[in-house]
Amino acid sequence: MRSISLILKQFSRSVLLVAGFTILGLSAYAQGDAAKGKTIFEAKCTACHKVDQRLIGPALGPQLDKETDEKFLVKWIQNNTALIAAKDPKALAIYNEYNQSNMTVFPDLTDADVTNILTYVRTEWKTMQEDAKKAPAGGAVETDKGPSNIMIFGLIGVILVAFIVIMVLNKVVKTLERLIANKPDLLVEPVPVEEVQVDKYAGIKKLAKNKKFVFFVLLCVSIAGGGWTWMTMWNTDVHQGYQPVQPIKFPHDLHAGAMKINCQYCHTGAYKSKNASIPSLNVCMNCHKVITGLKGSNAPSAEIHKIYDALGYDPQTQKYDSTKMRPVQWVRIHNLPDFAYFNHSQHVKVQGLKCQTCHGPVETMKEVYQYSPLTMKWCIQCHKRTEVNTKGNAYYEKMEAVHEMIRKGEKVTEAMMGGIECGKCHY
Amino acid sequence: MDSNKKYWKGLEELNNEPEFVEKNKHEFAEPIPIEEVLSGGGLMGKTPRRDFLKALGFGVGAVTLAACQKVPVHKSIPYLIKPEEVTPGVANYYVSTYDGHAILVKTREGRPIKIEGNPNDVLAKGGLSAQAQASVLDLYDYNRLNNPMLDGGDSSWNEIDTFVKRELGAIKTGGKKIRLVTSTINSPSTLAVIADFIAQYPNTKHITYDAVSYTGIIQANQNSFGKAVIPHYNFDKADVIVSFGADFLGTWISPSEFMGQWVKNRGSKSLAGKKMSRHIQFETGMSLTGSNADTRILIKPSEEGLALVNLYNALSGTTLPGSKPMGNSSADKAVKLVAAELKAAQGKALVVCGSNDVAKQILVNAINAQLGSYGTTIDLDNYSNQYKGNDAEFTDFVGEMNRGEVDAVFFLNSNPVYEYHNGQAIKDALKKVRLKVTFADRKDETSVICNIVAPNHYYLESWGDGNAVEGYYTVIQPTINPVYDTRQAEQSLMVWSDSTVKDYYTYVRNTWDKELLAKGGLSGQKGWETLLQTGFIKVADKPAGSYSFAKDLNGVAQTILNQGTTLEAKGDKQYEVQLYQSIALRDGKRANNPWLQELPDPVSKVTWDNFAAMSPTDMKKAGYVQGDVINIEVKNPNNNASYSIALPILVQPGQAQGTISIALGYGRTEAGPVGQGVGKNVYPFLNFVNGTFQTATVAAISTTGDNVILAQTQTHHSIEGRNVIRETTFKEYVKDPSSNSGGSLKHKEYEDLWDDYDHPQYNWVMAIDLNACTGCGACVVACSAENNVPVVGRDEVRRRREMHWIRIDRYYSFNEDGKSITEEKEIEDLKDLDNVAVVYQPMLCQHCDHAPCETVCPVLATVHSSEGINHMAYNRCVGTRYCANNCPYKVRRFNWFNYWNDSRFDNYLINEHTHLVLNPDVTTRFRGVMEKCSMCIQRIQAGKLKAKIEKRPLKDGDIKMACQQTCPTNAIVFGNASDPNSEVSQLLKSERTYYVLEELGVKPGIGYQVKVRNTAETLA
Repeated sequence: MRSISLILKQFSRSVLLVAGFTILGLSAYAQGDAAKGKTIFEAKCTACHKVDQRLIGPALGPQLDKETDEKFLVKWIQNNTALIAAKDPKALAIYNEYNQSNMTVFPDLTDADVTNILTYVRTEWKTMQEDAKKAPAGGAVETDKGPSNIMIFGLIGVILVAFIVIMVLNKVVKTLERLIANKPDLLVEPVPVEEVQVDKYAGIKKLAKNKKFVFFVLLCVSIAGGGWTWMTMWNTDVHQGYQPVQPIKFPHDLHAGAMKINCQYCHTGAYKSKNASIPSLNVCMNCHKVITGLKGSNAPSAEIHKIYDALGYDPQTQKYDSTKMRPVQWVRIHNLPDFAYFNHSQHVKVQGLKCQTCHGPVETMKEVYQYSPLTMKWCIQCHKRTEVNTKGNAYYEKMEAVHEMIRKGEKVTEAMMGGIECGKCHY
Repeated sequence: MDSNKKYWKGLEELNNEPEFVEKNKHEFAEPIPIEEVLSGGGLMGKTPRRDFLKALGFGVGAVTLAACQKVPVHKSIPYLIKPEEVTPGVANYYVSTYDGHAILVKTREGRPIKIEGNPNDVLAKGGLSAQAQASVLDLYDYNRLNNPMLDGGDSSWNEIDTFVKRELGAIKTGGKKIRLVTSTINSPSTLAVIADFIAQYPNTKHITYDAVSYTGIIQANQNSFGKAVIPHYNFDKADVIVSFGADFLGTWISPSEFMGQWVKNRGSKSLAGKKMSRHIQFETGMSLTGSNADTRILIKPSEEGLALVNLYNALSGTTLPGSKPMGNSSADKAVKLVAAELKAAQGKALVVCGSNDVAKQILVNAINAQLGSYGTTIDLDNYSNQYKGNDAEFTDFVGEMNRGEVDAVFFLNSNPVYEYHNGQAIKDALKKVRLKVTFADRKDETSVICNIVAPNHYYLESWGDGNAVEGYYTVIQPTINPVYDTRQAEQSLMVWSDSTVKDYYTYVRNTWDKELLAKGGLSGQKGWETLLQTGFIKVADKPAGSYSFAKDLNGVAQTILNQGTTLEAKGDKQYEVQLYQSIALRDGKRANNPWLQELPDPVSKVTWDNFAAMSPTDMKKAGYVQGDVINIEVKNPNNNASYSIALPILVQPGQAQGTISIALGYGRTEAGPVGQGVGKNVYPFLNFVNGTFQTATVAAISTTGDNVILAQTQTHHSIEGRNVIRETTFKEYVKDPSSNSGGSLKHKEYEDLWDDYDHPQYNWVMAIDLNACTGCGACVVACSAENNVPVVGRDEVRRRREMHWIRIDRYYSFNEDGKSITEEKEIEDLKDLDNVAVVYQPMLCQHCDHAPCETVCPVLATVHSSEGINHMAYNRCVGTRYCANNCPYKVRRFNWFNYWNDSRFDNYLINEHTHLVLNPDVTTRFRGVMEKCSMCIQRIQAGKLKAKIEKRPLKDGDIKMACQQTCPTNAIVFGNASDPNSEVSQLLKSERTYYVLEELGVKPGIGYQVKVRNTAETLA
C-alpha cells in the first residue's frame, strides 16, 4: 500500500513540476536550465543545503526569495570568502548570522552554472510552496491518505459482505423453520435415532474391551505425549524466533538491506570487543541529522523523531538540550546466560564469520528476531564442523606445526584446538 | 616421610587435640545432618508420605508455572552519546597514584574495577599491597557521604561556602588561630593550595599528624645530621640486615618497596649466583618481617633500648654510661654475634629500628654511621616524603584548643578522635572551637562532631599528584565521575581562600607546567599528555652523601635506659604491651573494607578481629586457653587516666614471654556496618613520651571468664603431617643446590594409572618461590577482586567456609640450634615454642594433570583441558562436594550460600554500589556449587584473543595472573611449560623445584621452590 501511495505521490509531483515549469516560463528572473541546475545542486550543494529547510547552511528557497541580486549571488557562491574579505555588507551580514563559518568556495562554477542552480532552486521552491497551498484541498491529501482510505474501503467491503452473508443465512433459517412449522410430522422421528445411538456406543464398548486396541491407543498417546514433553523440555528457555516490540521500529531491511550499510558501521564493537554493542544515538545522528524522513517528505518521520526526542534535539534550531535527554530502552533479543562467555571479536575479526551466520538474514528483517537457537548444542556443532580460519594469522603458525604432525593435513576445527572444553566459555 | 622436620599450622595440630583430629577427618567440618533425618522421626513416620505428596504436587505445580513464563524481558540501554574512548566490553587503563606508588586503574564502561601496579613504578616495580588492591572497593562503599553537611543536616555547597567564608572572615579579623590538621601530604599541588590558604588567612598553621607516627626518625635525623627527613632505605644494597622491631616487609614506611628490595638478594637470581643476604630480627610479637627473618631473637619492648646500647658498645668498642648485660641471656649472646656479623659487612650493612623514640633512633643513626651505611644502604639525600608527622605539634594543638585559642580547625584525611591516644580530650577540646570542618569522605569518629562536613572526592575521582620519594613525582587522574555530590578538598580550600584559579585541575596543571614537567624533560600540552600515559616522572637520583655521626651519646643512652626501666612489667599480672599495625588494616582508615577484614593476618591467620597475642608459656603459667577474654588495663602516664579493653587471647608461638601484642586499627565506632565494632581500639594505649607517640606500654591483665572463638583460618586445612614444605639452609644449598628438593632424596616413580594428556600448544603452569614469598596476602585480595570471590564474614569463617581461591599457609617449625626434630616426644618442652621458624606457602588449585577431583565428579563438572588447566563448570556442578573431599591440597571451596544475593551477608558485598566492582568477565557463583582457582582463565583467554587479533604468536609474559601481577616480590611466575624458553620453564628447571605431594602421582602443575634460610648455626 505504501508503494501505491508513493507512486501516486510521484505522479502528482511530476504533474506539478510540469505545471511549475510553465509558470516559470513567465518568471522575471534571469533564466537558466533547471535540469542542469538540479544536477549541479545535487552534486555540490546538498551536503550543506536544502531548499526548504535550514541544514548547515540556510534554507535556500526562502533565502533566494529575499535575495534577488543575481550578481551578488553569483559572486557569493563562487567565492564567498573574497566577498567577506572585501567587507561587502550583505556578505558580512550572512557571515555573522551563521556563526562566522565560511561556505565552501566554488571557483570552478561558471556564471551560467550558478544561474542554473538558482533557477533550479527557485523552481523547486515554488513547486513546494504550491504543493503546500494545494495540500488542504487538492490531490496531495488524497495521495497522503491513500493507504488508509484503501484500508477503510476494504474494511467496509468486508463488513458489507459479512452483512450480506448473515442476511442470506437468516433467510435460509427462516425458510427452514417455516417448513418445519408447516409439516409437524417431520419432528416425530427420534425413536429410530435412539436405537442407532445404542448401536454406536456398543461399538465403542466392544473396542474398549479389545485389550490389544487399548494398548495400542495408550502406546500412541504416551509416545506422542512423551515426545511432546521431551521437545518442550529441550526447548525450555530457547527463544528462537523471539521478536519483541522495540521502542523504535528500526527497519534493518532498509538500513542493511536497501541502503547496504555495513553492520559494523553501527555495531562497532563486533570487531574489537565481546559486545557487538547497540549503537549510541550519536551514530544515528551521523545520517539522521540530514535524513529526517522518507525521501521527498518534509515532515520528520515519527520513528526518526524518537531519536531526536531521546537526545533532546530540536531539528528546527539544530540544538541539543541535555536536560531532555533520556536513553532508548531497547529490548534485548539475543540473550546468552551469564555463565556463558561469548566474544564477538573472536568470531568476527579472527574467524571472519559473517554476522548472518548466527543472526540470520538481518538485511531482510523488518524487525529483528532471534534467528538461531543459541543453545550449547548449536555452538558446539559449529565448533565441530567449521574450519578455523588460520590463513595469514601468525598466531596459528606455531600451533599448526604441532597439529600437522598429529593429523597430516586434515581440516582444523575449533573442537580440535580445545574449543569444546567447558572452561573455554564457562568461567 | 622425606623431610625430617616437623611442621605444624597451630598448636592444636602440634598437640593433636581430639577436637582438632575429629574436625579434620572430614573436608567439611560440619557434616550435613542426614543421619539425624534418617534415624529420628525421619522417613519412618506417617506424615512424611503426605508431606512427600504435598511437596511433589507443589513441585510439579511450581515447575509448570515457572515453565509457562514468557521470555524474560531484558533491557539493553546503549549510550546516548558514547565517549570516544569507551568500547563496551573492553577495559581501559588509566595511570594514577596510590600512596605514592604509580598504579594503573582498570575501568570497564567507566567504572574502576581493579587496581594494578604500574610495572614502571620506581618504588615497587609493579607490586602492590593488599591495601592498594582493596582500595577500589572503598569507592563503592555505600557508607560514603552523599553531600555536604552543616551541623549534622544535609546542605548544599553554596550554603557551606557562604557559611565557611563568613566565619573565616570573622575569625581572620578576630585574630584567633586557624589550624589545618592533616595526615602526611606529599602532593606538591595540595601543599601549594595549603600555602595559598595560609597566605589568605595568615593566622593558619598546617599541622601534620600521622596515626602511626615516624616523628622519632625525623627528629633523630634532624638531631644527628641536621636533616628532618625519613631517609630512603636500600635493603637491596645490604648484605646484613638487622631490624629492631621494624616490620619493614609488613607495615613500616614503604613495605611494598622494601619487599622488592629485600628479595633482590634472596630470590632465585641471587641464589643462582650463590649469594643471599642475612636478615636478623629482634622483636617482641611475631611480625611478618620477623617470621621471614633468617634469625629471630625475642626481646621485650623494655629490652630493646638496652639491646641497641649493647650493640653500639660492641661495634664501637666504647661503653656508654649505664650499659649492663641484659637479663635475657640469649639476646645478650645474639647482640654480640650480630655485632660481629655487622662489622664484617661494613658498608653493606643496615640496622633499622621500628621505635618512634627519638633517642633510640639517634643511637641507630650512630650505629649505622659506624657501619658506613650512609651513602650505601641509607640515602639521606633522596629522602622519603611518605611520613612527615610531628607529634609534639599535634599535642600542642590540643593544648591550644583547650585554652580556647583556636577558632577554626580543618581536618583533612585525619581522624584524631579515633587515632589520638586520648580521643575524649579531643572531643572536649573541639567543643571550644567555633568552626570545625572535616573533609572526610565517609562518616568517621571526628566527622560526627564537626559542624561542617565538606566530603572530599575519593582518590579515584580526583586530580592530584604525589611525591613519595624525592625526585619521584606521580600524577593522580580521575577514573570515574564523582559518584556522590562531593568536592575535592583542595577545591574547597581554594574556594574558601578566594583563589584566582577556579578549579583544582587547572591548579594541578599549573603546578606541573611551571615546575614539575620540566624536571622530567617534558613540556606543554604534549608533555602533560605523555605524563597522563606514563604516570610519573623521575629525576635522576642525587648522589647519596656519606654522613658521619659526631654527637654525644651519653645523654641519649641515659634516656633510652631510663625509658626501658619504666616499661618493665612489675608483678604477676603485669605484661609489657606492644602495639603494632596489622597487615590488613594498618592504621584502621580502611576498616570498612570487607576484603581487608576477611584477609587473614599472615601470622595468626585471624580474620575480623584483633586479639591479645600471648606466649604459650605465659598462658600455661596463668592458666589461660586460646579465646579466653582478658581485661587489659593501661594507666596513661600523661594524665593518669586508665583505659581498659577486653580482648580474646591468641596463642602465639614466638611471642616474647611477659609480653602481649595487640593490633591497632580496630574498634572503630563510626566506620560503617563492616568495620564498626570489629575488635577493640588500642590507640588509647599509645604513650606520649619524650615528644613522640610510642607503641610500648605496661598493662595489668585480669580474667573476665568469657571465651570466644576467634575466626582463624590457620588449621582449617590440615595437611596430615605430610611433606608439603621443604626448606634448607643456605650452607646446605651452596653445597648442593638440590638440597631437600627431592633431587637428593628422590622417591621411587609410581606407575601412572591414567594416560598422559596431550598439550598441543600450551601447558599453563606456575612456579612459586617459597624463598620470595613473604606471606603479605596481597595476592589474596587481588584474587578476590579479579575473580569476584565473595566475602563470607566472621561467623562463616569460624565454620571453615572462607571462599578465598588462594590462601597462604603458614607453617611453624622448631629451631633447635641447628638440630632437627624428628620425634614428637622431643618437643614436649613448651619452652621451645618461643623459638619457632615460619614458612609461608601460597596454596591454590595445583591444576594437576591427573587431578583426583576430576575422576570423582559424577556430572563431569570439573574436567581437564588441553592446556593443562583443571576446568570448573559452575553451571554443571550439582554440589556433591566429592571433588573437595578428594582434593589432597584442600583448595576447593563450596558456596554454602548465595553470597551475592542473601540478606545475611548484607554488610559485605551485596548492595547496588558494591556490585559495580565486580569483574564482568567472571561469573558470580550461585549457592550449592563448588569453585576454585581457575588460573585466571579469563586472562588466558583474553591474552590469546589479543594475540590472534594482532596476528602474532603469544609471547611469554603476555598473560599474567592477578596474584602474580600484584606480588611485590615476584614470588609467583606463570607461563607456558611447553615453551622451553619461557620464564616459568626456566624457573622450574631450578634444582630447588619440588612439587607438593608429588608422590601421589597427581602431577601438579605448580612447582614450588625450596625455602632457603641463611641461618648461622652459632646464632640460632
